[in-house]
Amino acid sequence: MKKITLGAGTGYWGTPIDFPTELVQRADLDYLGIELLAELTMSILQRMKMRNPKMGYIPDLLEFMKIVLPFCVKKGTKIITNGGGTNPMQAAKEVSKIIKALGLPPMKIGVIEGDDMMDKIDDVLRRDINLANMDTGETDIQVIRDRLVSAHAYIGADLVAKALKEGADIVIGGRLSDNALYVGPIMYEFGLNYDKPEDIDKIGAAITIGHIIECGEWVTGGSSNFWENVKEPWNIGMPIAEFYENGEAIITKTPESGGLLTVETIKEHLVYETHDPRNYIMPDGIADLTTLKLEEVGKNRIKVSNMTGKKRPEKLKMQIGYHDGYIAELMMLIPWPKAISKAKRYEEIVRERFKKFNIEPKELRFDMIGVNALHGEVSPIPVDESTINEIGFRVTAKLSSKKEAYLVRRFVIGGALCTGPVGTAFNAPNKEREIIALWPALIPREEVKTTLTIMEVK
Amino acid sequence: MGKKVQLIDLAWARSGDKGDRSDLGIIAKNEENYQIIKREITPEKLKAFFKGNVLGDIQVYPMDNLCAIKVVMDNALGGGATKTLRWDVTGKAMATAILRMEIDV
Repeated sequence: MKKITLGAGTGYWGTPIDFPTELVQRADLDYLGIELLAELTMSILQRMKMRNPKMGYIPDLLEFMKIVLPFCVKKGTKIITNGGGTNPMQAAKEVSKIIKALGLPPMKIGVIEGDDMMDKIDDVLRRDINLANMDTGETDIQVIRDRLVSAHAYIGADLVAKALKEGADIVIGGRLSDNALYVGPIMYEFGLNYDKPEDIDKIGAAITIGHIIECGEWVTGGSSNFWENVKEPWNIGMPIAEFYENGEAIITKTPESGGLLTVETIKEHLVYETHDPRNYIMPDGIADLTTLKLEEVGKNRIKVSNMTGKKRPEKLKMQIGYHDGYIAELMMLIPWPKAISKAKRYEEIVRERFKKFNIEPKELRFDMIGVNALHGEVSPIPVDESTINEIGFRVTAKLSSKKEAYLVRRFVIGGALCTGPVGTAFNAPNKEREIIALWPALIPREEVKTTLTIMEVK
Repeated sequence: MGKKVQLIDLAWARSGDKGDRSDLGIIAKNEENYQIIKREITPEKLKAFFKGNVLGDIQVYPMDNLCAIKVVMDNALGGGATKTLRWDVTGKAMATAILRMEIDV
């Protein structure tokens, strides 16, 4: 039975270089995915591109390419990445320079563009296409129109599959959905078609497998409940999927690596950020995660079978980023004795300073690190503070303008520092940071006109 | 009935986000625990438990095939990772909070 082997070299921007390196050195992969985007990333990249039109891709992509390309060429591994960010064409040009500099044989790079919707928003709105905020239900996007930073549609695997069909060795896109990096090769290799009813479950399986491996070490014992049993997490392996013609798969990991891969660690990732598990909606289809079966078939080998899905949605998700004010932040460390009482005193001081400067923050938050910063109101507050050695005290405020944020840093929270209880340790307040808020909306698929360019590197 | 245990004795949990939505997965340690969790963890109880932290609707989805439930909570992360004042911007610790929950067994 035909099978293909796909590996996840990264799971996020910031993945350490040794994870993909050891993966391509030790495993014989047909495809390597390099996934580098999170929800906010496109807005950050868009701003980099506005400052310099030759930027806008993920800089780490080039570092990864320099190291993995020689192995991939030797082993015939094709690379699929969304690290092109807001500038896939420039990323491809930079990668072509690396190919030449390394003296590698001629290669083809498929470049996928067209997910950037920024210039199309006004036209879409003019035609009364509703871009209601999926999170808040707000319908009037005009209220943020003059504050927009970026707008990108999450696109599927169709052009990834097409690029592979046209002989691409590397495919570079922008806001390709994370799992399109894996769905693309599976659709190409097994000739799957969105419109063939008999292929829908297999596309659902591809999406499921894509989800299982797309966050890298999150499925091989990273961020795990089983951390005490994870072997050598400092050498953690990256996930590998063997996908079979019959729509089943085996999940494994970098040979000779650390980490942990069991039925339970795969469950940890199947329940992670999948929302309604019967309808895990991706641009390429809707996976149903409630039918699949997991079975350990060998050491570090877990079989996934009986995966199902539904036809791809008519609409794509679009992530719109917009300016939404500033955050001012202050952190201090408060020692025994009476650390909690002292924190309460600081809270009072900060509140009074806001009043004195007549600034009304949009939001104001106080956290006692060591007490309630993570579990919020679920945290039991210790009644006896005599055993508390120290706590962190964090003040954060959301302000409408940069000027207000400055005043808050300098005079409101800054001015609270030396007026409080004895023994508190602090640095200068952090510089205020700008908020890029996100407005997720649905957009009809036909509005997103993606293109494929094949770049030949000789 | 009448006996209570903490969820941490029955299940593992992990959480993440999409926008302002907090997404928790609770994996029962065995089939028997799964039946208890499926019966006892309801949107109403979660709403009371996360009072003050979660402002929006709460949905619970069973996954019989994994002996797990999904809990999806709206308006739960202070506006979402990019604008929240929370230290834990993506709600990674929400799963450990729920493990404190007292469950009737």
